[in-house]
Amino acid sequence: MAKDITMYTTTTCAYCVMVKKWLTSKKLDYNEVNIDEQPERAKEAFEVSGQMAVPVTVITKDDDTREVVVGYNIAKLAPAVA
Amino acid sequence: MKKEPTTLVYGADWCPDCRMAKAFLEKNDIEYKYLDIENNPKYQNDMLRITNGSKTIPTLVYGDIITQEPDLEELTNMYGVQAKKEDMKEVVMIGAGPAALTASVYTTREDIDTTLIEKAVIGGLAAITDWVDNYPGFPEGISGLDLSENLRKQAERFGAKIELGEVTGISAKNGVVTLNTIEGDIEAKAVLIATGTEYKKIGVPGEAEYISRGVHYCATCDGAFYRDKKIVVVGGGNSAVQEALFLTKFASHIDLLVRGDKFRASDVLVHELEKNDKITIHMNTTTDEILGDGAKVTSVNGTNKKTNKKVIFDVDGAFVFVGLKPNTGFLDGSIDLDEYGFIKSTTNLETNLPGVFAAGDVRSGATMQIASAVGEGATAALRIREYLENLSK
Repeated sequence: MAKDITMYTTTTCAYCVMVKKWLTSKKLDYNEVNIDEQPERAKEAFEVSGQMAVPVTVITKDDDTREVVVGYNIAKLAPAVA
Repeated sequence: MKKEPTTLVYGADWCPDCRMAKAFLEKNDIEYKYLDIENNPKYQNDMLRITNGSKTIPTLVYGDIITQEPDLEELTNMYGVQAKKEDMKEVVMIGAGPAALTASVYTTREDIDTTLIEKAVIGGLAAITDWVDNYPGFPEGISGLDLSENLRKQAERFGAKIELGEVTGISAKNGVVTLNTIEGDIEAKAVLIATGTEYKKIGVPGEAEYISRGVHYCATCDGAFYRDKKIVVVGGGNSAVQEALFLTKFASHIDLLVRGDKFRASDVLVHELEKNDKITIHMNTTTDEILGDGAKVTSVNGTNKKTNKKVIFDVDGAFVFVGLKPNTGFLDGSIDLDEYGFIKSTTNLETNLPGVFAAGDVRSGATMQIASAVGEGATAALRIREYLENLSK
């Protein structure tokens, strides 16, 4: 199970909308960091993913291990939040 | 009566064959317990003990029977059931961009049961376009994302069902169209292929290596990482110019590299471009190579074709909009395509497979406009209605 889900997004990104829709359909809560609104946190998204792309979804599991999924990729998101 | 043993399904969430097996069991009301081996080491150990170390999933245990990666036929035999097929659907649309969403507004309003299957983003390429100024009815323009969201709401208001999934094959026989999907087969009386297009890659050294680490195809997604940075935009069509203008919100300077000696973009956009002092236009300039330091892009090399001189742009990123390629790979020879891979269709928008129609960007001859896609969606819906009426005669 996921203890915390944090998503880095931008206002205009359609793939971010899809990840949010998907998380909501799985009844999972998440924190959203919109880097258009908080540009100073764009660095964080890059550091955590090594990529300059959103959406970045950071899943912290119960045992504090962390999984990072870049993009709208159900094949990676599903096992990460399970 | 002897109680049937509960089937154990060892699998993982990401595994398509596991989903297929579970879907089969559910459809046939067969009791089962799903054991996720990825997130529970105990289940993994149990499974490996049962299978003597064989790591294939799904592994199904039903009484004394142990089977791995069974196909539909095997499952049917194993449970002695006639595989209950899902009821045949009336219309299935592949894709949920402007063409399919519009078509579904029309079909559902005619009370034709309609399901859309989308593998990526609802709204398609329109949804990732930052701003749409040429779609009628919005005098101030509208963001691609808002337009997509409106289209989705409108389609769902009349009962269109949008499923997130992926179609992997298509065939037609005796008035029934069969779609293979990662969740199993679906049968429909009629199908609309509206899978659209995606941005092409340039195909130069460094491009693949630096995808998402300096090379991007979605300005609305990744532009925000280039605040106060220098970038190049590659391309001379509407998308390249529109997205270059959008990227000036972030970038300190943009070099726009256009291979030809004139823009394919509309004049209005080109005028906007010429007024923008953050953008330098380089006509007749090819993009030859993308260079980086291993972690990120540091420069883009090109050639000025007029002077035949190398040009080097020291930038942090490159956004590429060099044309569109059709999403038709999954059709795998079952549908006639033109030489560029777009779907051939009749004036009725029907393909060579009876009952299978095509609309929007994916259709040969499409003009790659949202307004055209919407128009084609409406036409396709009306033709599908006629087709269904003839089918039931």
